[in-house]
Amino acid sequence: MYRFKKILYNTIFILMVTLVLAVIIVPIYWMVNTSLKNPREVIDPIPSFFPRTPTLANYRSVLGSGLWKNFSNSVIVAVSATLTSIVLAFLASYALARYRFPLHINRLFLIWVLVVRILPPIVLAVPLFTLFNGIGLINTLAGLIISFQIYTLPYSIWIIYGFLKTLPKEYEEAARIDGASPMRVLVSIVAPLVRSGIIATSIFALILAWNEFLFALLFVRSPRLLTLPVVISRYIGEYTTQWGELMAIGLFASLPILIFSNVVYKKQTEGFSMSLK
Amino acid sequence: MRNRERAVYSSFFYIVFAPALLIILLLTTYPMVTILYDSFFRYSFVVNTRTFVGLGNYIHIVGEELFQRSLINTLVFTLVASFSEVVLGVALAFLLKRQFLGKRVASLIVIFPMIISTMVICAVWQIFYHYEIGLFNHVLTTLGMQRVGWLTDQRVALASIILVDLWQWTPFAFLIIQAGMGSIPSEIFEAAQIDGARSGQIAVKVTLPILRNQILLVLMLRTLDTFRLFDKVYALTGGGPANATQTLSFFIYREGFKFFNFGRASAASVITLVGVAFLALFYVRRLLGEEE
Repeated sequence: MYRFKKILYNTIFILMVTLVLAVIIVPIYWMVNTSLKNPREVIDPIPSFFPRTPTLANYRSVLGSGLWKNFSNSVIVAVSATLTSIVLAFLASYALARYRFPLHINRLFLIWVLVVRILPPIVLAVPLFTLFNGIGLINTLAGLIISFQIYTLPYSIWIIYGFLKTLPKEYEEAARIDGASPMRVLVSIVAPLVRSGIIATSIFALILAWNEFLFALLFVRSPRLLTLPVVISRYIGEYTTQWGELMAIGLFASLPILIFSNVVYKKQTEGFSMSLK
Repeated sequence: MRNRERAVYSSFFYIVFAPALLIILLLTTYPMVTILYDSFFRYSFVVNTRTFVGLGNYIHIVGEELFQRSLINTLVFTLVASFSEVVLGVALAFLLKRQFLGKRVASLIVIFPMIISTMVICAVWQIFYHYEIGLFNHVLTTLGMQRVGWLTDQRVALASIILVDLWQWTPFAFLIIQAGMGSIPSEIFEAAQIDGARSGQIAVKVTLPILRNQILLVLMLRTLDTFRLFDKVYALTGGGPANATQTLSFFIYREGFKFFNFGRASAASVITLVGVAFLALFYVRRLLGEEE
């Protein structure tokens, strides 16, 4: 009787896990599946689970249509936004962790950084658009790199500050007594000690910037400057029948970040970050 | 000499702190002050003149049916999506609690949805939801049921968007709650088992109360994130059908970037910010209240 119950439980368990995994995998599989179908099969009212005549035509036409340009825009913007955030956040967090500014600036700034995290970004968009328009940053990649700081900078400051706060001061003090300048201490002593934390923070910031949609949509108009998420949204809106091509672009936009899933899993279960978004 | 050295030391910290401070002030504080100011003016980007109207923008917006619909839709989406994600996340954490072969791989797959771009996700779900060629309607017709206008029927459209959000963000709730479970010492479970508690009782009376703060944290983060719903509406429905999926963020977007009524967009932004502040205060109180 006991054994029967155990087998029953195990069967239910396996069924449930399989169901959960299926729910997650089917949409991702459907991208691959659709991207390999020819245009006629895609609009067949009876959707097929395997492409009947697999073709790479969608990939060829997408790559031939200048998608590389958009792909490289995404890379440039995401990498630059991340580097900017990490450098600025590292410097600022160090100052916040090691120096007491007057007027409670330390605490006020850290609270403000958390407040920014909960703002709906659209409320900032109108004034920023006017501001950026006035200084020639609309319709440039630089404008995107700066506006993405709204997401990546507060996030990086909060995490890197957490790391620096727990770091013992002894090494830094020893180096200072030996006559090293503050900048020297920062670069040669502190930076190596928090390296792994900084790498993990960079990966999270990179994913945020890679997927950003709102400012990428509002601040850039020329097709050759668009990032991948906006290209995808245009496909959804305008070329509604090009499902195969759309899915091919979707895969191009997803693969570079899926390789980080291992890091995301490990760090997030450590309670490392509050949220990706 | 000593004083000079200290001055150099202090100025170093001011110099390294300044860039981040300036960027944050420029990108967040300046716009927030600006929307508060602009919200009292009739101000269109096209003609670029400001006319003071006092609370006029606020009074007009609040009286409009479209704005009321946006507010209600946002609240419905926020409540339903964030609560469901927490419930599903807890369920998933309980399901994947025990050790089994392939647990690591399963956990990795589970977090895929939260790292993929929202636009990519919308693209796939757009195909699923398609009236003629979509997978969902194919399953329904195979089962002998009527097709559903997932994104075109005004009774269903908002629920369809909620479903996409559940798919994308339940993994996030799962991760945080799983982390909380991992930090519970196993002695607690053993003690409960020795006392003769059944596993269902342990879950409800032991595990869930310990996870209270994790659950509240996830609920807070998801509430604040769902409250800003924009991307999915933009990609899947454009606010339709018949405004059934209009949200506050989408309302601001249309006022600001379609009609260039910056004054009205600013007023709607201020109202949205007040809503966010209420949500945040509510949760912060609950989270801090526990510690006292």
